[in-house]
Amino acid sequence: MSKANYRLVKFLFLALMGLWLLITLFPFYWQIITAFKSAAETNRTIPTFWPEVWHPQNFVSVFAEASNFDALVDSFIIATGNTLASLLLGTLAGYAFARFPRQAGGENLAFWVLSNRMFPPVAVVLPMFFLFDATPWGTDSHLSLIILYLVFNMPLATWLMMVFFRDTPRELEEAAYLDGYTPLRAFFKVTLPLVLPGMISVAMLCWIFAWNEYLFANLLVGTDVRTFTIVIPTFTHGSQTLWNLQMAFSLIAMLPPVILFILLRRYMVRGLSLGVVKG
Amino acid sequence: MVDGTAPGDLAGEPAAAERPRLDRADPATYPEWFRNKKPRANLIVARWVPIALVGLPVLVLFCIVVYPTVWMFYHALHDTNMMRLFQGNWNFIGLENFATVLESARFGDSIVHLGIYLTFGACLQVILGSILALILYELVKSNFLRVVFLVAMVLPMMLPPSIVGVLWKFLLTPSNGAINQALLNLGLIDQHIEWFNAGLSLWTIIIADVWNWTALPLLIVYSGRVSLPPAVYEAARVDGAGAWTTLRRITLPMLKEVIAIAFIVRFMDAFKFVDLVFIMTSGGPAQSSELPAYIAFQRGIREFAIGEAAAYAILIFAVSAVLIILFLKYLKKVLKAQGFA
Repeated sequence: MSKANYRLVKFLFLALMGLWLLITLFPFYWQIITAFKSAAETNRTIPTFWPEVWHPQNFVSVFAEASNFDALVDSFIIATGNTLASLLLGTLAGYAFARFPRQAGGENLAFWVLSNRMFPPVAVVLPMFFLFDATPWGTDSHLSLIILYLVFNMPLATWLMMVFFRDTPRELEEAAYLDGYTPLRAFFKVTLPLVLPGMISVAMLCWIFAWNEYLFANLLVGTDVRTFTIVIPTFTHGSQTLWNLQMAFSLIAMLPPVILFILLRRYMVRGLSLGVVKG
Repeated sequence: MVDGTAPGDLAGEPAAAERPRLDRADPATYPEWFRNKKPRANLIVARWVPIALVGLPVLVLFCIVVYPTVWMFYHALHDTNMMRLFQGNWNFIGLENFATVLESARFGDSIVHLGIYLTFGACLQVILGSILALILYELVKSNFLRVVFLVAMVLPMMLPPSIVGVLWKFLLTPSNGAINQALLNLGLIDQHIEWFNAGLSLWTIIIADVWNWTALPLLIVYSGRVSLPPAVYEAARVDGAGAWTTLRRITLPMLKEVIAIAFIVRFMDAFKFVDLVFIMTSGGPAQSSELPAYIAFQRGIREFAIGEAAAYAILIFAVSAVLIILFLKYLKKVLKAQGFA
């Protein structure tokens, strides 16, 4: 290939990526400017590509309805509770898989645990609905979602913690044993501080998945507990959708996962993305 | 994974050279007590500890995954509906539910929809994602720009499906949506496209899904490309291989498994893909955008035919199980190659 030809091909490929970047970012642009438009402006027959009058009060008036704020609180409780539970169970199992692989059931059990992450939710949600119905806390509660989200978050936490524990040298623990530490103390004083950065990233990932979850929430809760994911599609006033408020609310709600993701980007690229990073 | 460390290793490696050579295969090398010793796991903790550590999560998974699956299998073979379920009175009807499902036109249509979605949703995403990932890695030289572009392109993946759904519903509003207006302004169309009518609603969902999930294969392939050894490329350069040859003869063959994983992951998601259908079209109009997983939910939860919903779920489960096994096979390979497992 001649030099000029190569340049042309290179330019075309870069143009393709530029186009894709444009396609990727345009919806965000539209979301942001709509969040600042007035209700009248969003309902015009010819949409404006730049707000004529800026309406930052949208971000306040979204919370005029108290249930919107409660939805964020409910989502936060569920996401945080689920993250803590996944992390606790995942750390225990990940440690066992990494340090005592044969006694803990071997590679196959580890892969079985991981496979639950890909499990189709249709096969889970209906029986769990009836199961939770029979429990004292019922279906429509924080606890039911905290437990159900373990389906996809706990395998993730287990698997990633296993990788992190494998990366920490076992010799450090052995040195601690020689110094008279009990296994429990060695775990807390030596190993845990070493995997802490990894643990935090796992927690962030789990939290994002639980925060974003829509399907289980849509089918299980809705009256006493409403996560923001099931509130967002219902921003209507009569037959009209309140687009500007909806966009303002979704901007607020998507801020935490986006920020966490930007903090997490290095872990994402470092091989953790092998299909494991998907709810 | 080496399990347990021999005592000799703790003393440090240098000593090994001076140690007399032992014939480890010869039983006579070992003293009497060692030969009579029962083989024992090299554990510093009690034997039950690892079992308990793993047992707790496994128990949880049994409650929230295995139990529901068994429940679904059981009811797929019974004539359960909501009323019978509460009365506790259902009868065994063999494979009748499966027959009903497989014969219904609704199921047949949804399979056609799934086929379209797999081709133009899942496959397109993987191809596009792989191309973008390689462009990003090979042609963008500045490290800072790479990170910025990567974050920008992966951003849609981090949005909750409900936001993606309403955002695209809004963008594609036929009467005054941004996309229609932009296309009009660019002169590509002369009248509004009805994105949500029976002919287009499935494609509308596919558009939103491509926007949302192209990032995943992109991320997978990009991380695979990052972990390829630079030495190979050095050698190719020394041998005078051009950019095109390097791509075709080195990069693509070495990324084969990673791209396979991207395909499998997207296919797995396709079979359970349902949330955008719920939010954007509710399967409509006139069931023109229904996918199998959506019908399973609809039959089970809105239309109370639990036996039939279970049959749908079992069919989806069967396909997913095959894909999951395939996925784990490739994942093992790639993890071994990247030194994780």
